[in-house]
This record gives sequence, C-alpha cells and structure tokens, in this order.
Amino acid sequence: MQAARDTFYVALRTRLAAINPARTIVLRGQVRPGILVEENELPTAFQPVDAFSLRWTAARADTSSPMPLVAMECLISYATDGTAGNGGMDRGRLLPAMDGELLAALNQTPHSAPKLNYSGVAGNGAAPVPMATSIFWSQPAFAPATAEGERIARSATVQVFSYQEAGEL
Amino acid sequence: MSIALTNATAPVASRVRAYFAPVNRATATPSIFDPAQSAAFPIDTPPAPWLDLGWIANFVRKAETKVNPLRSGAPAIVQTQVRTEIEATVSLEFESWGKLQLALSSGSDQMNLLATAAGAAANGSGGTAAAATPIILSGSTAAALNVGTAAAANFTVGQLVAVDLDYTGQTGFVGSGASAAYVAAAANVNSDINYIRRVTLNVGRVTAIASGILTLGSPLLAGAPAAGMQVSPLTGFCDREGGRFFQEWSALFVFDGEQGDRVLYHYPRLQAAQGSAEIVTALAGTSTGAAAPLERARLAAAFRALPVTDANDSATVVCFRSYIPGPMRSI
Repeated sequence: MQAARDTFYVALRTRLAAINPARTIVLRGQVRPGILVEENELPTAFQPVDAFSLRWTAARADTSSPMPLVAMECLISYATDGTAGNGGMDRGRLLPAMDGELLAALNQTPHSAPKLNYSGVAGNGAAPVPMATSIFWSQPAFAPATAEGERIARSATVQVFSYQEAGEL
Repeated sequence: MSIALTNATAPVASRVRAYFAPVNRATATPSIFDPAQSAAFPIDTPPAPWLDLGWIANFVRKAETKVNPLRSGAPAIVQTQVRTEIEATVSLEFESWGKLQLALSSGSDQMNLLATAAGAAANGSGGTAAAATPIILSGSTAAALNVGTAAAANFTVGQLVAVDLDYTGQTGFVGSGASAAYVAAAANVNSDINYIRRVTLNVGRVTAIASGILTLGSPLLAGAPAAGMQVSPLTGFCDREGGRFFQEWSALFVFDGEQGDRVLYHYPRLQAAQGSAEIVTALAGTSTGAAAPLERARLAAAFRALPVTDANDSATVVCFRSYIPGPMRSI
C-alpha cells in the first residue's frame, strides 16, 4: 500500500509541477513543487497556503479479485490568503486557480500510473523499482470552500486504487 | 533474464470509447478493423478510416443468439446443440452531440438545415435551399475550400457548411464519404439540385477565410472535394421519426483498461434499430446538493448487428471481441 501512496504522490506532483511550475513551497530549506504528504513531514498544526497537502484517510480491500484490490481515500487540502500586494483581495481568484490545477492534473489521461517501489529511495537513495501493476484513481470530489478570517480553503477527495502484488506490504 | 508473471485481473476502466467507419452500402462492404495489426492504437488517434465519436455511456451489448437442444429418440434425449438464430444488439448513449452522433442515433437519414432561398415556403426539415457555391478544385483540400474571393465574401467565420455534389437524378445510395440516404426515384426528392447536400454527412465549420479560401476546423469526411461539388451554408441538423433509410456503419468500441489491458468490440455492420431518442438525466451538482435542477440530454442509440464472413474460416459472425492482455499478465 505504501508503494501505491508514494506512486500517487509522485505522479500528482509531476503533473502539478508541469501545469504550474511557479507553484512551489519551501520545505526544510528546499524549494519543491507545491505539494506535500502530511504524514511524511514533521508533525505540525500549520497548514501551508498556496500548496496542496495530501492526507490518507479511509481504506478498503476487495479480496475477491485474483490480486487484492485496495481502495484508499486521499484527502487533498489547500488554502490561500491571497497575495499581500493585492491586500488578499485576490484570494477568491487564487483558490479556483488551485481547483483548476488539481482537476487538470487528475483528469489528464491516463488516470493511472505504473506503480513504483520507493522503499530504497528512503533507505540508501536507490532508484524506485517498477512493479508489475499500475495504480489508478477516480475523479476528485470537491468539498465546499471554507473561510476563516482572510483565508479560504477547500479539500478534494480522490479514490486511489491499487492491486496488492505478491509480497507487497 | 526472466520476469515473473502477475495474476490477470478483470479489466477496469471508467468508460468506453466509440469509433465508427463507413460501410460501402452499394456493395455492402464494411470497414474491417484488424486487432492483430492495430489493437494498440492511441485512444485519441484511431487508424484510418475510423472516426472518433468520443466517449459513450451505458454501453450495453446483448448476444441474442439462440442455442437450442437437438433431441432424438423416445424418450427424447439431448444429443447435441444447434444455433438456430444468430443475432446481437448494441445500445449506447453518446456523451457529445455532433453531426455523426446525431445521424447514427437518429436511425434514418439526417438532414442539414440548408440556408433557404428568399421567400421559400416553410417546411419541417428546411425549405427550398439557396443556390450553392461552386468549389474551385485548385487550392482546395479536405480542410480548405477554394470558392474564390467574390464568393468567399458571402461566408462568415463560424458558419457550418455542407459540401457535396448536385443532385442530377441519381438513384440508389447518395452522399460523399458515407452513404447518407437512399433515393428510389428522382420524383421522391423533387429532383432538388440541393438534395445530396441536404442529407450529406460531408460537413464542416468554417474557422478562417482568406484569399477566397474557406478553412475548415476539421477535414471533410470525404476528403478533398471532387469535381462538381458545391458548398451550401447550413444552420443545424434535423432528423425525423420515420423515413425510408437505415444508417449502417462499422463500429469499434474500446474498453481501455487501467492496467494496460484492452478489450475491443468490433461490429463490422451495425444498422440502426431505433428512432431518435435522448436519455435525460439530472446534472450532477455539488456535494451540498444546492445546485439548480438542471438536466443533461445524451443521444441514445441502438443498433442491430448484421453478418459478415470471417475470411479465416468462412464462419458467419456479427461481432468480434478481442482482448489484449496487460504486460506480463498470466493468461
């Protein structure tokens, strides 16, 4: 399941970075595309703005298939305060821009990506290893935008599917 | 080097893509798709002569072949089985509306609403058409029509046009690129010089006009204009419940699996089996459910498969289903 999560994150990161290369985030001193996985970062209550934050929530396994089919729910949260130069009055334009980028990235065909095992990357920096199947995902379901002070935020939910291959944990 | 196989799983895809190709009605010759040669084509660029009609919903195919027991003896005991009828039907809903989608789902001949002549009497499928504009073959292609500078001034960017021959008394199947109607006698169509342009599927939209050339947004179904073809502007399309013609096309439906697998359904001859109909569904709103109650109409189509002979074994069949396994899947 970890390989599917990592693959989805990298696929989405690559697509978002291609759609809007200017959307970046500085994380632990490094400039990266504006997307992160909450569970892979230091615990914090801080919500980054103008970036996409991924959180894995529900999961379900269908074992009737020759290979167990795992469905995982990915909650993608994002928010914006607008830009200081515009006094934050452009926040209503920046949030739909992020909606559009996320939709474009998830809606690009194919809605799938070859699954890669990234366990070696974290260990000794080895290249990811191609696995035998592909992950695939559903259309996003957008939640209503919420406003807190000058900040507006939204979340979208995506179902990510992956076949659990022999020996995969 | 050896690579372990992965268990084969049921194909998963979100929707089905439809491609159609003309049948030569005069000779009853369909367009044949060879999956051994072309199965892996990119989903957005089908091989010629297949036309991409986009995604479809509620694709249902039914095998209505009857298999009956053959009994003998007393008491009668089943000795074997026989196929007493071979039949298959297909129904679907087109996600997009276009000339071909409308024509296929209408079941019968589908008319272009040609710009009318001044003072034309009202008619349900369009009044008497205005005079058409001749095409100069030099400089014309499948996506560019040279009508000359003076005539080009009568067209506007964005205009729909029908391109085809004059009707001069032809009988039988008419229409360039694909048969669009059947004329039994010239009197049935009032010997209307614009009749073929009225029914033709050879239509396009003007996207630019320069130096007497009308540039079209997409190539014409029939390719570069032939001698004698003329252009008529039109405002839209019209089909009727009834009519004397059955649309017949070759069809290919692709279920493109997310694991690199692909299922292809090829019906060499599909003939329309119902009149024009739409399926109206509520438009999906937001998660709050506060959206206005809008409805979306999809074009509904139903077809009956007609037979062809498989050159490999002379079997009479109506449909070919091909499965292309994903990479390194067990079979």
